Amino acid sequence: MMRDSIRLTFLMHRFELIAITIFTVVLVVAAYYVAGQLDAVGYGPCATATSPSANCEVLGQRFYSIDSSQASPVMALIAILPYVAGLFLGAPIVARELERGTTRLAWSLEPSRVRWYIARTLPVLVVVVVLAFAAGVAADRLYAARSPGLDMANAFDGYGYRGGLIAVQALVIAAGALGLGAVTGRVLPTVILALLIGAIGIAAVGKVHERFTQGEAIYVDGEQYLAGSRYVDQFFRLPNGTLADWRQLEIIAPEAFYSDTGPSYPIVNLVVPGNLYRFVEAREAAGLGGIAAIMLVGAGVIVQRRRPG
Amino acid sequence: MAAVLEATGLGKRYGRRRWALRELDLAVEEGSITALVGPNGSGKSTLLKAWIGFERPTAGSLRIHGVDPVRNRAAAIRLTGYVPQAPSLYRELSVDDHLAFAAQHRRGFDRDLARGYLDDLDIPLDSRADELSGGQQAQVGLALALGTRAPVLLLDEPLASLDPLARREFLHVLVDAVRASGATALLSSHVITDIEQACDSLIVLGGGRSLLAVSIAEAIAGHRIVDRDEPRPIGAEAIGSFPSATGERLTLVRGSVGRAATLEEVVIGHLAAGRPERPARASRKAAA
Repeated sequence: MMRDSIRLTFLMHRFELIAITIFTVVLVVAAYYVAGQLDAVGYGPCATATSPSANCEVLGQRFYSIDSSQASPVMALIAILPYVAGLFLGAPIVARELERGTTRLAWSLEPSRVRWYIARTLPVLVVVVVLAFAAGVAADRLYAARSPGLDMANAFDGYGYRGGLIAVQALVIAAGALGLGAVTGRVLPTVILALLIGAIGIAAVGKVHERFTQGEAIYVDGEQYLAGSRYVDQFFRLPNGTLADWRQLEIIAPEAFYSDTGPSYPIVNLVVPGNLYRFVEAREAAGLGGIAAIMLVGAGVIVQRRRPG
Repeated sequence: MAAVLEATGLGKRYGRRRWALRELDLAVEEGSITALVGPNGSGKSTLLKAWIGFERPTAGSLRIHGVDPVRNRAAAIRLTGYVPQAPSLYRELSVDDHLAFAAQHRRGFDRDLARGYLDDLDIPLDSRADELSGGQQAQVGLALALGTRAPVLLLDEPLASLDPLARREFLHVLVDAVRASGATALLSSHVITDIEQACDSLIVLGGGRSLLAVSIAEAIAGHRIVDRDEPRPIGAEAIGSFPSATGERLTLVRGSVGRAATLEEVVIGHLAAGRPERPARASRKAAA
């Protein structure tokens, strides 16, 4: 029965599922291929060495050539994957049924719309998360290859564009598109609206979370480079030991602010240490996951109450 | 006979002003096949949807086998097999997939029974829904409703887009199934000639109100047609006037004078009576 339910749901979304799966598989393969290419250059020891060897310049040119021509486009495509997968798999789940009137048949057969809703959404959402997670893992691998010597489990490099966070982003976009689809009952307006609202929503959550994360930031001397840390803000240490940001410096010491020859003050950076990466990532994922859950419940309530189109 | 479908003082308003149904009192007897006829916008679909819980009444109440579909939609759906107005099949799924879909969503769905109906009509089970003709799609919709083995069947204008042969086949399957199972069927339709052969009772809706609710036999026996230009015969209660196909003005009356009325004339006469009076063309010209 369960297998039948999943099979039928997949048949109803055959085109989108095949298209998004192919897109994801191509990206994952491309990410691993490019990562292998970057590793094969052998630039890693040069990036971490205090006194690079003579051929490091040649290796570096080759490394950064692959990075810009191959790795960057792959990463850019992985960055849009949560939106593509979330929108094109999430939006039609309810909207297309309402648009085509198949809800009249489905809701006249199934006494519980909640059961229908779960049977229709769960398999698709699982696919969205699995595909986006696979892309996130591949992005992790590619970022590791692009940042030799960096422990990606303890580094904020590429934060939000790799790892499990991509899967949660895709889930939240899919949930939002699903909910909007339940309201509008039309696929195309849903995709357009969900794209706008989803992009703004994810950016807003990221901003809110960034403010939250500042509580965990520490001050480090500008010369003390903490690899993998997340830069939050920059300050200047004044002679009396207090810290001033750029705006304060402009008021306190305009000669330092406007002139290259004026007094200079040591720079102090506010950063979130890289070893907090997993914690911060998990917390943002939990926040986005909570928003996705609320939207999914909201969509369920709309399905429960609305006319079948 | 007990009433299986009941509506009491039922009203349904869309927006602030437009009433689709108003102060509607109806009862459909158990085991009957009842035709629900009326012009577009008379509230037929709204009424059927209200009984299955797809529409919430603005006023009054509904019962389906004693169950209020507003308060207990799930129970109302369990009692109902519904055939929507337009075939609402999943175009990506085959006919057999639809049977699997129905079995998955409706406990007790009789897949073999539904498959039997479709086999009898030579509808290929492995065909995708979008490869079927309109008539075949309607038959699949009916087979799905019959497969539920529900005691009540609500059919929302399933004949509207079918050719005469497909209509006849559809009604044949429906009547046979209903007679065999003892279910109650309420069928909304515009096609009155087909209804006459298939249905026991008739409800005429107009302007959201019930204009007539009688058995088909009573409808035909109790009405006569007279020429409107003739003086109204004594003892005849005029119901409504309407033009014939050849342009003569006819009046539907209750009584024993005039010629026998067809079911179509009974329906049209009551619809004409239920419509707000408009000035005749001649008097409009004179006024101009």
